[in-house]
Amino acid sequence: MTPLQMTLLAVVLAPGAIFALFSVLWLLGWHPTERSLTRTTGIVYAALTVAVAWLAWMLRDSGLASISVPLGDWFTVHDYRFPLVLLGDSLSLPFLALTVILVGLIGQFSATYLHRDPGFARFYILLHLFAFGAMLIFSAGSFDLIIGGWEMVGLTSVLLISFFHYRQGPVDSALRVFIVYRACDIGVITAAFLMHHFAHSSSFAAGMPHLAGGNATIVGLLLLLSAAGKSAQVPFSGWLPRAMEGPTPSSAIFYGAISVHAGAYLLLRAQPILMESTAASAAVIATGILTAVQGTIVGRSCADAKTSLAYASLAQVGVVFAEIGMGWTVIPIMHIMGHAMVRTLQFLRAPSMLHDYHQVHAAAGGHLVKTGEHLKTIFPQGLQLWIYRLAIDRGHLDTILERAFVVPLLALSRLLGRLDRIGLSAGSGGTDNPRTAPALPAGVEREGAIDG
Amino acid sequence: MADLSLPLISASIGIPAAAAAVAFTNDARARMAGIAGAAGAALCSMEILREVQTANGARLVEPWGPGLFAADPLNATFLLVYALLTMGIVILAPKRDTSAKITGTTLLVLAGTMAAYGADNLALLAVAWVLTALPFIVGPFTGTWRPRAGLAASCLALLGAIGIIAGAARTADPFSLAALQGHNYGGSAAFGLLIVAIVCRTGIFPAHAWIEDAAEAGPVLPVCLFINGHFGAFLLARVVIPDYPLSAQGAFPILSDLALFTAVYAAVRAVAESHARRTLALLVISQSACILAGLESATQEGITGALIHCVVVAVATTGLFSVLRLMEVRFGRSFTSDHYLGLAEYTPRLAVFFVVCGLALVGLPGTFSFCSEDLLIHGTLASHPQVGLLLPLATAMNAVSLFRMFSKIFLGTQRTGVHGVGDAIARERWVLTAIVVFIVAAGMMPNAIVSLRANAAQEISQVLLHPVAKVWNH
Repeated sequence: MTPLQMTLLAVVLAPGAIFALFSVLWLLGWHPTERSLTRTTGIVYAALTVAVAWLAWMLRDSGLASISVPLGDWFTVHDYRFPLVLLGDSLSLPFLALTVILVGLIGQFSATYLHRDPGFARFYILLHLFAFGAMLIFSAGSFDLIIGGWEMVGLTSVLLISFFHYRQGPVDSALRVFIVYRACDIGVITAAFLMHHFAHSSSFAAGMPHLAGGNATIVGLLLLLSAAGKSAQVPFSGWLPRAMEGPTPSSAIFYGAISVHAGAYLLLRAQPILMESTAASAAVIATGILTAVQGTIVGRSCADAKTSLAYASLAQVGVVFAEIGMGWTVIPIMHIMGHAMVRTLQFLRAPSMLHDYHQVHAAAGGHLVKTGEHLKTIFPQGLQLWIYRLAIDRGHLDTILERAFVVPLLALSRLLGRLDRIGLSAGSGGTDNPRTAPALPAGVEREGAIDG
Repeated sequence: MADLSLPLISASIGIPAAAAAVAFTNDARARMAGIAGAAGAALCSMEILREVQTANGARLVEPWGPGLFAADPLNATFLLVYALLTMGIVILAPKRDTSAKITGTTLLVLAGTMAAYGADNLALLAVAWVLTALPFIVGPFTGTWRPRAGLAASCLALLGAIGIIAGAARTADPFSLAALQGHNYGGSAAFGLLIVAIVCRTGIFPAHAWIEDAAEAGPVLPVCLFINGHFGAFLLARVVIPDYPLSAQGAFPILSDLALFTAVYAAVRAVAESHARRTLALLVISQSACILAGLESATQEGITGALIHCVVVAVATTGLFSVLRLMEVRFGRSFTSDHYLGLAEYTPRLAVFFVVCGLALVGLPGTFSFCSEDLLIHGTLASHPQVGLLLPLATAMNAVSLFRMFSKIFLGTQRTGVHGVGDAIARERWVLTAIVVFIVAAGMMPNAIVSLRANAAQEISQVLLHPVAKVWNH
């Protein structure tokens, strides 16, 4: 293994190793101090930033197009292999750099922001797991491996949304986000399996699997489903404002920077497949434009800073989607890098937004000119009201999804439940039957006791 | 055919049976007897596994009783996993679940299960099958009528099949599994009854409801061990596929579709189920149906995935049911998803164990189930491209149901009136940590177990792909 390959491997594995170390120690009863967590995070991500910069420099200097790190097969059955291969190229390295820089910054910011919070250690442990998942997505050499990182990022996102788990709101929101993630993840999972089915490989380390015609369309649309879910694109954009229940630093890195752009990365990676299918490319462009319009309209009607920023964020990601659908590569990458940095700063400053607003006003010597006022003159009164209603219900997307999928599914589930319980009352209770246990008054629980 | 160095399978049956006798007579030492009995069975199983691996997957028979017991790559892992899970359950079970009657019967079920896995004789397998079901049919683990009916139906179907095979075989040793291979004795009638036995025991639609009832109304830890024996999948792999390859080849597309339907059905049912035990039971049904679908896919990937998934489901659901039971004992009642309880504040480690085991059941990357789900989905997609797509859908719904249950029990606003609920005590922590470490370690380095199961899968897939050739071989 060359020094370049070893460095790439170390960069990807380091966050996972820290996560494993801290979690096992915690399970064994250790309570890490705030200082130990923040210092470890700071040192490790500073080193990783240097390492990624060195990788990029060496890649440019050597004239290589990419670094591939084959790690053998994770498991092999008959003629099916799960190859473990990491890839560092002009697409993955900017994302790796963005991840290590922002995770390091968020680690330092959170040292003050979450000081003495009961979940301080949990936040840092999850931050490392998230970083590991993100590094895995951005350095994976196959779609199978991308799925691994994809699920880790989704899980940490959900666990951080329910960070303040002693309130019902964040927990409800986390469950909702988890449902959207799981539903949309079916896309990338099935796409990877179909690639094996159609092209006998999902690895792109040595070139993208060749798909054409209908196969490319199916795989492209499935990847779009997952990308739209992860990047909160239409029609799944309803989860993003709910995700703002998490702590501000996690909102910044997930929904301002890394996680929300993971969908765009997936499409960039799969761009050769998308370009084989006009239908898939058109769907990507349409999704992006619709999201950009929806984000712009809804964002203007939001009453709180973080939700407003969330919609601004998904509007920009919508534009990025449209750029990817048009076949551009460099512009979307530059757009993502710039957007991620600006949005992270805005999210981190969100708790001080009023203060900043007044400072800007004072510096400008008076009130700033409002933007978008011209819309009032362009659109007739009736249309304005209609757009306003659309905006305050966030495009009716949650309502539509709920009526189309959630309500019928729950109704079917309850119906099957009733069918399953037919004849149940004829049976007798068992040794441990909760139905025959003495009932407690509503709202009162029996006092617990350790039975040892 | 080579021999095992010692009568290890007999020992793995005899030791828990002897421990059961001790447990029944001494209430105070029931847990110790249970641990000793299960540990003895586990040690024997470890040695069996080692010898099978050393023999490169060859079939090893017992030295003193050829034709009764044998070990091979298919059953060696089952033997070890089941013995270890029983030991874990006996160690961590709350005091009220370790009475002489419960522990003694659990050990008898362990002995019966080891006999069924190790049997090289269909009659012996059937006797062990019935013995393991008896505590759930006649007591002391009885629940509502449906578990009794479902299990009785599976026992009767298996005994009926054996009667037909005995009538048709007319050989000196009509029940030897080696002699039965490929002969299709009893034809469609025997094959049909064997499939009925599998459907009833595994809980395939429409015979699924007994598992829900058993989990809700029965003692949850013995029920968990019982359903995690995966006898249905084992009978399919051990008897049905080798003995009825032509019938299996014809019937499996339909059975596979039925199994996939069950996986989705149970997953849909779980979405709105409010009772925690029922939800877990539905997830077990869904995942067990995935195992059958994999076995019936007739692809080596699908069969290997199914055989690995048996282990994953057994270990992960044992962790889940254990945490649930420990929480019930602490909380004083069973759980429903009507309210948030916020118990993670009191039991953070139990919450972590629950979420890791839960997500490990539904294919979380980095856990062993990611590997088994990957193989299962590949196998079913290869054999049934249209319906195979249902498997990821079922898994996604299962994940949602699990996370919902986790949220309701462990997260949210704490309920007033909950006091003195403590986190995992040492013996609970050791067992649950071992489960989590196994799930993660096997997920990181799955090749050792995958290659072991791949040997068994290769034999099964060869029989399904070339049934006529197999008949000639025997």
